[in-house]
Parts: sequence; C-alpha cells; structure tokens
Amino acid sequence: MSAPESPRPIEIGRANEHDVKIRWKDGAEAVYPARLLRLECPCANCVDELTGRKLIQEGVIAEDVHPAGIDPVGRYAIQIYWSDGHHTGIYTWERLYDLMQKL
Amino acid sequence: MVNQETVQDALRVVIDPDLRRDIVSLGFVQNLKVHANRVAFTLKLTTPACPVKDELRKQAEDAVRAIPGVEAVEVDLTAEVRPNPGAIGRAMLPGVKNIIPVASGKGGVGKSTVSANLAVALRQAGADVGLLDADVYGPSIPMIMGATERPMPSGGKIQPVVSHGVPVISSGFFVQPGQAVVWRGPMLAKMVEQLLAGVNWGELDYLVIDLPPGTGDVQLTLCQRIPLTGAVIVTTPQPVAVNIAEKAVAMFNQLKTPVLGVIENMSYWESTKTGEREFIFGAGGADHISQKWDFPVLGKVPLATTVRETSDGGRPIVLDEPESPAAVAFTECAQNLAAQVSIHNLKSEADDLVKITF
Repeated sequence: MSAPESPRPIEIGRANEHDVKIRWKDGAEAVYPARLLRLECPCANCVDELTGRKLIQEGVIAEDVHPAGIDPVGRYAIQIYWSDGHHTGIYTWERLYDLMQKL
Repeated sequence: MVNQETVQDALRVVIDPDLRRDIVSLGFVQNLKVHANRVAFTLKLTTPACPVKDELRKQAEDAVRAIPGVEAVEVDLTAEVRPNPGAIGRAMLPGVKNIIPVASGKGGVGKSTVSANLAVALRQAGADVGLLDADVYGPSIPMIMGATERPMPSGGKIQPVVSHGVPVISSGFFVQPGQAVVWRGPMLAKMVEQLLAGVNWGELDYLVIDLPPGTGDVQLTLCQRIPLTGAVIVTTPQPVAVNIAEKAVAMFNQLKTPVLGVIENMSYWESTKTGEREFIFGAGGADHISQKWDFPVLGKVPLATTVRETSDGGRPIVLDEPESPAAVAFTECAQNLAAQVSIHNLKSEADDLVKITF
C-alpha cells in the first residue's frame, strides 16, 4: 500500500491494575492513565462531532474509572468497555499515538 | 549418498514466485522419505488454487532428480490454506480462515457476477468456500448461484443454502420478494452481524463477501467487526467507474484493511468471428488503479453474452463453459486472489499482529 506508514501497536496490555500500557512498532512505549483515556473518549456523546468541543463533564467521571475490557476494532482501532458502562468510543491507532504527547 | 539433507538442500533452490521464498523454509516440503536412492515427498502449498502449482512441482522434481545417485522421484501435491493471523481465536467466525469482501465504488460493474465466479472457481480448485451476499439493497447472488431454497434454522443458527458446492447466504433470503430494504444504518449493521455470526458457516478456507456498491454502513460495519484478510476491488475500464472505485480503495486504506487486488470486468469484447477486440468501455482502468495504489491487477474479464446468460441462469460461467475466455479469466482472477491471500497472510504473520492482553 502506498499510504504513508501509520503508527501501529504491537501490544496493548496492563501497566498496573487500571492503567493501559501500549507498546508501539516504532519502539515507543507509554502508560495511559485509565481516567485520562476515559476523558479522551472520542465518541459523539463525549465530543461534539462538528465543532470538536468536549461534551464530557469531568466532574461526573469517577476517579477510579477503568477499562473492564478492550476489544480490537478491525485492524485500526480498539474499543474500550469502561467500568462505568460507557463503551461507544473507538480509539484509533493514530489517536492513541498522538495522545502520548498529552501524557 | 542421497539422504534427507541432500534432498532438502537441493530443494532450497526452488523459490515460490509469489511468496519469494524457497519451498523448504516455507515449510512446503513434508513427509520426505529417502530409501535406496528413491525419493518421495509431499509439497504442501498454501492454496489449492495456486496459479503456479504445476511449475513448482516440476521444479522440485527436477531439482531432486539432478542430485547424483537419485533414481526415482515421487512428488505429491496437497494444500492447506493458512488462516489470516488476525482471524485466529476470534469468536465471531471461528472456522473461517480468510474473509474477503468484494467491493466496487460504482454499481453495475458486475460485482456480484465476479463474486459468484470467484467463489465457484476457488471451490473447483478444491478449496472450502462460502459466499455471503451482503448487498442488502440489491441482493442478486441467489439468482446468479441458482440458490432458490430457503435457508433453514439449525441449532439456533441459520444453515446456509449449498449451491454448486458453495454455502450461500443472502440478505435477499430474509426479505419478502417484491419488498425493498429501506433501512437506516444501525439496522444494516445488525443485519451484517447476523449474516456473519448467526450463520453456520462451518470450516471455510475463504468466505467471499459480495458488498453493496459504495462506501456506506455495510462496508464500515464489516471492517470494524471482523479482521478481513483483504478486499477485492471490481471496476470497469471507464473513468466514471474507476474514479469511484478509488473512493472504495481510500475507504479500505482508512480502515487499515488491505486491498488484495483489482479485477477489471467488462474489460473488452472479442468478436467470435474475427477475434478482434473492441474496448467498449475504454481501456486501462484497472492498470491505472493498480499503479496508483500499488496492488496487483488480478485479471481482466471480457464482456460476453454467455456471462450474462449464465448469471441469469443460476450457473456461473466457470461451471459449464470453463474453456470460454471469460471463464478462463475468472479462474485466473481466483488463482491470483488465492496467491495474494497467501502473500498477505505470510506478511501478517511476521508483522501485523496486535496483542491485546488487557
């Protein structure tokens, strides 16, 4: 494929009880704190689709929110099932890779 | 002295032209027996539809025969399709090794006829193939495959209708004749999931999926829900089809689904009297896409009245007129597709896997 090489994870696992660790193909490695990932949910309930404005209210998200499970989405993203029942966000490789800068 | 090692060394010079590796390191050479200067082994290829299987067999035979002292060589050919690494252990379609959607941008390019002929040609080569008609708006696979029975429920799932050796499920089976599917996205997604997970597909080497034209909900659901080995793009030669086909390619790129190749349908018309070719829809469409996006042309299928007749008659042309130019082209497309599947799976085994351990 002539598309530019895009970020690709090798392993997505646990850093500790709640936080997510991702190892990338280019050698990068990062720990994503669970609550930060929850606050970065890209779904249409959490982010305005047109303006990109955050709709998620930080105050209502529990301090100990954490992933209950993670499923692959095709070949390009993961879907996180959260302890608070939320699960509509699709986290693409690009998005997760860019998120490293916020950590 | 002829022994296992000398034979293996001799066989290392035989390179699979598609996988670009020698047949020993690929693990093709099995059951190697050397006894009193007589050599016997099995060549286990990655697909029964391998386009170069006879060449490989001959090269292997010649390589061993050239070893001093060898008196006789016996080569058996078998094949076992390798699963797409992403498909292993997935709950949705546990027995299906490779899922291959057939897509087009524009409608009316003969996508369903291509899908049906690909499925039957792969079946004829000896592979276990299923055909899923996901073209919810215009399901035409039942007619093309002559699958007129209703599918029956079995063990909480639906049993596909087997036609010409190919298990077939069509969204058309579940819609009353004369009714149209007028649905919003979420319902389409549900339908696609039902057609995949709610059907007893059994053990399949290849599941060919006939998609609706375009880049809509069905395509998106499919790419999101299951790991696809890769897509096939169908186009006709003219720019109006090619331009829209490229949108389908762009969609698959965006969803990180590989494209295995492009098939140019209605490529030309050949006069049965003079043999002259007429390029009714222009020329070079598939070549253009192939070069621009860097995947192969799997084949070019000529326009022929018999293709239309056999499709309308429920017996894809590769069944009854295998010598006709269109059927030869379809078979070639199927072989090249099978080769591309093997190539991609080998590559994915090396670097494509994301391990999720959370």
